[in-house]
Amino acid sequence: MNENALLRSYQEQPNVWDEMFNLEGIRPEYKKFVAAIENLASAEMTRKDELAKKLFMSQGITFTVYSSGEGIEKIFPFDIIPRIIKNEEWKHIESGIKQRLKALNIFLKDIYHQQFIIKDGIIPASLIYSCPQFLREMVNVDVPFDVYTHVAGVDLIRDQDGDFYVLEDNLRTPSGVSYMLENRSITYRIFPDLLPKNNVQPVKDYPDILFRNLRALADGRSSDPTVVLLSPGIYNSAYFEHTTLARLMGIRLVEGRDLIVHNNFVYMKTTKGLKQVDVIYRRVDDEFLDPLVFRPDSALGVPGIYSAYRKGNVAIVNAMGNGVADDKAVYAYVPDMIRYYLNEEPILKNVPTYQMADADKRKLVFDNMDKMVIKRTNESGGYGMLIGSSATEEQMESFKKAITEDPRSFIAQPIISLSSTPCYINGVLQPRRVDLRPFALCGPSGIDIVPGGLTRVALKEGSLVVNSSQGGGSKDTWVLGAD
Amino acid sequence: MLSRVADTIYWLARYMERTQSMLQVIRTNYIASQDEIRYFSWRPLLYAYGELTSTEVNEIERDTPRVLEHLVLDKLNSASAYSNIMQGRENARAVQDHITKEVWQCLNDYYHYVRDNEVAQQVKLGDPVSGIDFLMRNSLLFTGTVKNTMPRDESYAYINIGKFLERAIQTADIIRIKWSGVSYDIQQSIETPELRYLLYSLFGYELFVKTYKGNFSPNNVLQMILYNTYFPHSLLYSLNQISRYFERLKEASLPESYEQLEFLIGKVKNEVKYSHFTADDPEQLNNFLLQMRDELYGVATAFSKYYFGNS
Repeated sequence: MNENALLRSYQEQPNVWDEMFNLEGIRPEYKKFVAAIENLASAEMTRKDELAKKLFMSQGITFTVYSSGEGIEKIFPFDIIPRIIKNEEWKHIESGIKQRLKALNIFLKDIYHQQFIIKDGIIPASLIYSCPQFLREMVNVDVPFDVYTHVAGVDLIRDQDGDFYVLEDNLRTPSGVSYMLENRSITYRIFPDLLPKNNVQPVKDYPDILFRNLRALADGRSSDPTVVLLSPGIYNSAYFEHTTLARLMGIRLVEGRDLIVHNNFVYMKTTKGLKQVDVIYRRVDDEFLDPLVFRPDSALGVPGIYSAYRKGNVAIVNAMGNGVADDKAVYAYVPDMIRYYLNEEPILKNVPTYQMADADKRKLVFDNMDKMVIKRTNESGGYGMLIGSSATEEQMESFKKAITEDPRSFIAQPIISLSSTPCYINGVLQPRRVDLRPFALCGPSGIDIVPGGLTRVALKEGSLVVNSSQGGGSKDTWVLGAD
Repeated sequence: MLSRVADTIYWLARYMERTQSMLQVIRTNYIASQDEIRYFSWRPLLYAYGELTSTEVNEIERDTPRVLEHLVLDKLNSASAYSNIMQGRENARAVQDHITKEVWQCLNDYYHYVRDNEVAQQVKLGDPVSGIDFLMRNSLLFTGTVKNTMPRDESYAYINIGKFLERAIQTADIIRIKWSGVSYDIQQSIETPELRYLLYSLFGYELFVKTYKGNFSPNNVLQMILYNTYFPHSLLYSLNQISRYFERLKEASLPESYEQLEFLIGKVKNEVKYSHFTADDPEQLNNFLLQMRDELYGVATAFSKYYFGNS
């Protein structure tokens, strides 16, 4: 296909969409990039690869694994070859995500207030009320500007025909955006000039937009609101992200123990006494947020914060109770929500999803288990999941048993063959599967999506699991500008 | 500023100051071990910067590579330079948004550096002085980076209070430990090795020879390391700095908290300032230094109580 040794050794996989190559050769969006690297000596590529690793390490872009009392620094693996998305494709993704979030946001308001969608028979009440993330505490709570899904990290995958599918909406506390920002800052150091030459759109506006939205939530309460980022602390694997965002926005990073609720107002403990907090961008999950209302053993939260929220004395981002729209069984109804609330056809496809609570579907899935992915409805991070094509008989049996005992907690989806893209591994280009997580920001003034996102890579050969906790890595994601 | 953040930044500075101070003492002691074997012992340092029992100390005190490994690189020794750097960096990690990116990266590099095998090889098997010098260069880089990049806000005041409080405690300790080794039968104006090493340990040898032009009397040494306000490692200099940076916190303090600390800092500073010690009565000096150390700990406790919310 190509004279260059780097590209010649690359083996495409049958029946998989390759992001860089099509039958005619290199896809147009990759041509300039490939032209720039194809004449590089392999030692030069390896040098770039090593430089990237060194930069991540020295800038502390790491997560810490604690074992035997000592923290071991790990880099979230980074592949130097960028993933490139054409402008038209991005426009399609962007409008599709905006449409979904609009519908999901209305759904959350509806489900915690009048529940028209249940009354009109679009979604069964039993599905909602059996969802552990449906928080009765949020019923009839008015959230500022009716915005629930301030930050969403929507996972998209591409099947063998090149169509994008939404896999998850991630409306709770999605992470990874700091890697989107850092991957870009590493790319311009290892590939000088390539970003402007390719007309790659910048991602650097993300913190500014987020901060603007956070401030806007305090509108009417304070002319100079105090906005904080609530982190579980340094032992959290996403701690690097929390500090990066706090630093880029110029807001305080606080932990649960820094905050105190007094008379239904939230304060932080400073060297000069207590100071009122107006907006909290929290990276602590719902169940840990308030030990008085949710998990009583949580040391990460703030006692009384729920009542302050309910009274409207503090804005919390994302809203509590979003998990009900994130549930994998509720996910199957998002296309219906779009039709119901917006009277539009969904722009982005859903992966077909079978509810295991439905006996016919359950039988269908049990008969075709090797072609299915089975997931727990309330788990993420690649946990609680079975991929039929690579599972043993034993694993299948144990899943069947678990499903029969508690069918509501499982869904099944046909295995989608994730698209693959070349990665520079051990000095050669090798195909690896990828997904795409763009980050959408909803504020009082609308929805913004910075052109880019996190491309996650399943670094193990043949693997379909891209989660960082399961051996995944990431790539810089280039969205090209209009021609 | 958040109480937790102030606490963390203050401790970050203490750990880094402690690292620098102990590395210099170890470096000086190592050179002494090569140069002045007659009077030499690792024992006081093993007690000051180690956690060994007296049997264990007996076992390794004559084995310089093992001593150095324990004091500098031992992960299990919570007082080793390695542990201090690790703690300093861990603190920095928890307040990344309150220190500059340069300071954070500098500490992060330092941490990766001390974990590097090359340094360990150099300290254990190669030339320990070079190994320690490499580490100390990172300490200096940290100090310079703080000075050059940090805004002069509350964080900066807490960094400096932590730094000079630690320095004052270290100076008092080093004088106490080293002074006990000074031999009093040679109180003439010829140079005694113990005094020279004491001055090296406090980074003060060059200034001393310039100031006193070779008059190596114990009284001169004591005068400089206790009272010389041009010497950045004298006890009085450190106390003046604590007082200076603390005054900057006035606006950002609760009046009653400020008053408490102002009293304690002023007291210890004036006790040193208006004292007059000569080398004649080592026991009195020892008691005074112990008392100063207790009062400095009292200042630290008061910060913890009134400013860091640990009451």
